[in-house]
Amino acid sequence: MSEVIVVTSGKGGVGKTTTTANIGTGLAKLGKKVVMIDTDTGLRNLDVVLGLENRIVYNLVDVVEGNCRIKQALITDKRCPKLYLLPTAQTRDKSAVTPEQMIKLLDELKSDPEGFDYIILDCPAGIEQGFQNAIAGADRALVITTPEVSAIRDADRIVGLLDAHGLKDHEDLIVNRIRMDMVNRGEMMSIEDVNDILQLNVIGAVPDDENIVVATNKGQPLVGDDSLAGQAYMNICHRIIGEEVPFLDLNGKGGFFKKLSALFKGGK
Amino acid sequence: MSNTVIIKGNKHGITVVLNGDDSFADLKNSVREKFRQSAAFFGKADMALAFEGRFLSEDQQIQLMEIIQEETEMNILCIVDLDKDRDALFEAAVKTQTELQEEMPGTTTAHNNNAGGTSEGLFYKGTLRSGQVLESETSVIVLGDVNPGGRIISAGNVIVLGSLRGNVFAGANGDEHAFVVALEMNPMQIKIADVIARSSDSAPKKKSKNKGVMPKISFVEDGNIYIEELTSDILEDIRI
Repeated sequence: MSEVIVVTSGKGGVGKTTTTANIGTGLAKLGKKVVMIDTDTGLRNLDVVLGLENRIVYNLVDVVEGNCRIKQALITDKRCPKLYLLPTAQTRDKSAVTPEQMIKLLDELKSDPEGFDYIILDCPAGIEQGFQNAIAGADRALVITTPEVSAIRDADRIVGLLDAHGLKDHEDLIVNRIRMDMVNRGEMMSIEDVNDILQLNVIGAVPDDENIVVATNKGQPLVGDDSLAGQAYMNICHRIIGEEVPFLDLNGKGGFFKKLSALFKGGK
Repeated sequence: MSNTVIIKGNKHGITVVLNGDDSFADLKNSVREKFRQSAAFFGKADMALAFEGRFLSEDQQIQLMEIIQEETEMNILCIVDLDKDRDALFEAAVKTQTELQEEMPGTTTAHNNNAGGTSEGLFYKGTLRSGQVLESETSVIVLGDVNPGGRIISAGNVIVLGSLRGNVFAGANGDEHAFVVALEMNPMQIKIADVIARSSDSAPKKKSKNKGVMPKISFVEDGNIYIEELTSDILEDIRI
């Protein structure tokens, strides 16, 4: 049975799409069969971050409107054969899909005979129809925030809505773009400060890493490489599948080999 | 905001306190204005109505009642004629009650149902997050935090067994004796009856040393909201 995970944040620009791409890719690298669904109709990005833009023929709206079968719209990733993308339409808007249609689509994917382990939904910013569509059939939510009051405020609002939707205790927090040098100087909120307000299970913290920008522009998720962000994303993937992995020391660049070996131990 | 009209309320009725010696026409406008502002709070309810603070002829009372019914969705069932000796009666009743309680030191439950809103409470377990509103005609006890953007509106008192970082409105029917207690008192705004206080503009430099935090109470005195540490002296002064 596949688990449906929605990646959401409320505020825009905190890293939902980047996180979706990296976690989807990471889970596939761990041997899971994964499908990522972009629900940001009209402002789709996930295909770009994954470098799959040029392969889109059919999309989510085509599927729910019955113009094609799901299998026709699924794009296989160019690097991982176990990773699939269901892109959405760029020429339509959020009202082109309803929550009921999303639930029906997810049920169909879940009942696929070959079966997906994970279905990951990239949620649009905001709390309107696009958000409602994305959370409709979710079993679990990854709430993304950055250590800024505006992002935390929006994440808090989102958690309230997720609770009301019945996802209480199925929400995990990812603190993205943390800069330890600033935290140490007392200029940025620490993970503890952030979670003092949100009070969720912290499933990972991702450092602000310029490699992310490079990877995004290349269309190649950096999960699993030896950059700090790449390791942090891989650790999150391990935790999603239920393994216990110690938190990365985001402080310095020292001790890479130690961290890497810890990573491989965790992966066994 | 003019204070010539004050609305006091409990579960079953409202008392409109009329201050000053404005002309009846001005008074009607004040009443209209006041109830327009608070119409949403009262909602649709069956209410008894009483006037106090000024003599009104029967005709004037009916005029005011019509204004209230126009401005709100309340259904006024009757106008209660408040006896001039009401205060004395109330005082006597309270005295007897206190004596009763002193006779039975073991009982801590409030027997005085007249107090309505403040002596009864609604418990809420969980964190009140941004965008969530908790409204009650009774007092409210939150077992959790109230986050920035969260909001509590209570006709009675508000007690937060956690961190209060959002907005709170106690004594929403005009009860200035209402109070707000929180284990960690960092609210955006506190409103008690008609008095509002907001947090200072300076950045809240509250480095998380949770151990040094004292529970605090906020209350109204002389038209200002005060926030003080919750000591037994202060608790003595609380009226429920």
